Amino acid sequence: MDLLPRLRRFAIGLAGHPFDGDDLCQMTIERALTNRAKWQEGTRLDSWMYRIMRNIWIDEARSRTRRGRTFVDEEAGFAIGSEGAQEAQVELGNVGRAMERLPDDQREAVLLVMVEGYAYKEAAEIIGCPIGTLNSRLVRGRDALLAILGDAA
Amino acid sequence: MTITPEELAAFADAEIIGERRAQIEAAIAADPALAQQLAAHNALKAQLSAHFAPILKAPLPDRLTVPLGGHDTVISFAGARGKLAVRKSNLRWGWVVGPALAASLAIAVFLPRGSGEAAGFAGPKLALALDEQLVATQPADASTRILVSFKRPDGSYCRAFNGSAESGIACRENRGWKLIDALPGSTGARNQFNQAGSENATLLAKVQQMADGPALDSKQEAAAARDGWR
Repeated sequence: MDLLPRLRRFAIGLAGHPFDGDDLCQMTIERALTNRAKWQEGTRLDSWMYRIMRNIWIDEARSRTRRGRTFVDEEAGFAIGSEGAQEAQVELGNVGRAMERLPDDQREAVLLVMVEGYAYKEAAEIIGCPIGTLNSRLVRGRDALLAILGDAA
Repeated sequence: MTITPEELAAFADAEIIGERRAQIEAAIAADPALAQQLAAHNALKAQLSAHFAPILKAPLPDRLTVPLGGHDTVISFAGARGKLAVRKSNLRWGWVVGPALAASLAIAVFLPRGSGEAAGFAGPKLALALDEQLVATQPADASTRILVSFKRPDGSYCRAFNGSAESGIACRENRGWKLIDALPGSTGARNQFNQAGSENATLLAKVQQMADGPALDSKQEAAAARDGWR
């Protein structure tokens, strides 16, 4: 399936870790196969699968956050999870670290438009938000990245 | 003419077309500050593409391609969730296994498969590794790596291992190392996107069920090896 490497790129971008990204990608494929009857012929398969993926990601992120807050604040919870996990061994590089610091909504906007090359309209449809919202998330995400990477350089 | 940051960004993303695009082009040509902002946008885009490009070229891990190979092999969604939960719960082994997994990136050695070992027991090469290798001191390029050593409730020693030819858990019995759980090894070159394959997560989940107490630390492990794992 030609789409797979791209899906995987989006997954790893969203999750911020190769291993989590592959988990996410695997779940997306499985859900898409289970629901393949719901995909409408003639609509774009890639957008449909991206939409499934970001919905799974949001569900996962929500439950992670809830678990995290039971004991510690969200920030610390994420830090424990990522420090302890083996995938912390992977060198993310400046860009990866900068992406990690973006809020989820800005990160997905940046990924869809700047990495995946979707038009604003398509990206907004995948996320399910108005174009204006997408546009402002994109600008904020982009400015944040420029600031972080500019500092690092 | 004022150009908002949103508009400039949209321009960089080729979202603006027609007359307005020409106007903005003219404005950029006349204003070095705008031109600089546009260059920054384009540079960022190039940086992002370059960062994610290797993923497109990397070989796909089996767990992503297998579900698409045929409907018989589709793992249920609930199953995948379970696996995810297992992996998350494995963090207490992370300190033991982390270094081993990191080093296993370097492994690309193929062992000859199962040559004449007694059924269910480790072959000579694997047995040697199980006898002698210690988690703390094993060479980084060992063809079989010991992930963790632990004791079962009956007092016998077991070790989880990962190799290019086979992975699994072996427990010491009188006749030798009995293979409790054997999985195909992590064949093929590992790349940065699929190190620490899911077989390790499966193994470690199993270890957690089998083990009586925590994993052996390096001292306990060295002592157990000295005593021949009995």
